[in-house]
Amino acid sequence: MMSSVPGADKKSKLLVYTIEECPACGQKTKRAFTVGDYVTKDGAKCAKCSNQTRVSLVYAEGAKSS
Amino acid sequence: MFILPGIALQAIGIDSNTIFLIFWVGFFFVTFFYQARLQSYMALNDISRGLNKLKVMKDKSRKEAIDYLVNVGKAPSDPTQRVDQFLDYVTIMPVDIDPAGLVGKIDHVVTTNNDRVRAEVGTLLGQGSPVTISISENLLEVATSLNMIHKIVRHFYLLGKKTNSYITLLQLQMLMPMIIQEADALLNAVDSFKLGQPVGDGIGPVIVSRYMAGKEKRAVAKDTVMAVAEYKGRKLYVLKADGPMAYVGQPGVAIKKIIEEMGVKPSAIVMIDAALKLEGEKTGEIAEGVGAAIGGIGVEKFQIEEAATKAKVPLYAILVKQSLLEAITVMRKEIAEAGDKAFQVLNRVIEEKTKEGDDVVVAGIGNTLGVAQ
Ligand SMILES: [Zn+2]
Repeated sequence: MMSSVPGADKKSKLLVYTIEECPACGQKTKRAFTVGDYVTKDGAKCAKCSNQTRVSLVYAEGAKSS
Repeated sequence: MFILPGIALQAIGIDSNTIFLIFWVGFFFVTFFYQARLQSYMALNDISRGLNKLKVMKDKSRKEAIDYLVNVGKAPSDPTQRVDQFLDYVTIMPVDIDPAGLVGKIDHVVTTNNDRVRAEVGTLLGQGSPVTISISENLLEVATSLNMIHKIVRHFYLLGKKTNSYITLLQLQMLMPMIIQEADALLNAVDSFKLGQPVGDGIGPVIVSRYMAGKEKRAVAKDTVMAVAEYKGRKLYVLKADGPMAYVGQPGVAIKKIIEEMGVKPSAIVMIDAALKLEGEKTGEIAEGVGAAIGGIGVEKFQIEEAATKAKVPLYAILVKQSLLEAITVMRKEIAEAGDKAFQVLNRVIEEKTKEGDDVVVAGIGNTLGVAQ
C-alpha cells in the first residue's frame, strides 16, 4: 500500500561558505564558513591590495553542484 | 499452486473455476461492505507512522534547545525542567468579537510574550551574549511549535480513532504529508540557527545592510536600527533589525516613529522581504509590487499601512521568492545571488519613484541572524 507519509528525506549535503569582499578593489574571496561569521564582519586583508575586507555574503550550496 | 487442490477438489465435484467464482464474490462483498473500515484502518496506520515521526522531531528539537543552552549558553543549572515548562506555555489571543482596536491588543499580548521569552532565556543563561540569547529564543520557539504540531495531530488522531470517524481520519491522512514537510522545515532550521548562519528570510536585511555599512546607526524601536544614507541625491532612512542577533525587530514601530515623531516626510517607503514562492516558481525570483511587504501575525503590517496611509506615502515592495524550508534554513546560493539583482531593483525603484532631494524610507524585513549592519 502506498503511504502518504514521506520517508526519511535523502538530504543533499549543503556546504556553507563565507564571501569576503574588498571594498576598495572588489576582490572576492570564498572560504568555508566558521562559527561567528556574519555579514559586514571584518575579514582578512585583501590579497590584491591589502585593504580590510568585509564579509558580504554567507550562503550554502550543494556539495555536488560546484 | 491452484492445480493440486484443484485436482483434489475435482474429486468432490468442485473445479477451479468455481473456486475463483467464490473468491471473487467474496472479494466483492468484502470491498463493498468493509471498504470504509479498511480505508480508515489504513489511514490510522499511516497517521500513527507520521505521528511517531513528529514525536521524534519534537523530542529532537527539545534536546537540541537544551544542549544549546547547556553547551553554548553555559546555563549555570540544568535547564531541562524550565524548558519543559516553556514548551507548554500558552499565549491567549484577545477576543475578536468586537474587532475595534484589536491590532493594538494583539500587539500588546505578542509583545508581552516576546519580552517574557527573552526574560525567561535571560534567567536560564544568567549572562550571555545577545547573539546566544537570541538564538536560544529561536530554538525554544522551534521546539514549542513542533510540540504544538505534535499535540494537535495526536488530538485528531485519537479523536478519530475513538469516535471511529472515517472522515476525520481521511482528512488528517491527507494533510499529513504537508504537516510533516512543515515540521521537517522547522527541525532543519535548528541546524542553521545553532551555528548563527544567515537564513533565507534574512535576504532583505542583507540587501539594505549595504546602505548601512559604515554609517552611524541608532536604535529606532526594540531590536531595530536605522542609518541615514544617501543615494543619487536622495536621503535614505534605512532600517533593519539589529544583527547579527536572530531578531526580526519592530519595523512597524520604527517606520511610524520615523514619519510621526522624527518628522520625516518620505516620498516613498520601499520594503524588501523574502516571500513564500508557489510550487513551480524558482527560488531567488524577484517580484516587485506595491503594499507592505511583511509577513507575521499582521501587527507590523497594520502599523506600516496605517502610518503610510495617514502620511499618504506610497508603499513599494521588492520580494525574493523562496520556499518555507529555504526561508528558515541557511541561505541558499540562489537567494544570496538574487540579492545583487534585488539591490539593483531597489536602486531603480528609488530612482523611478522619487526625485533628487526626496526622503525615502528603505526597510529590510526579515530575521537578521548572521547579518549585521
Ligand atoms: Zn582589495
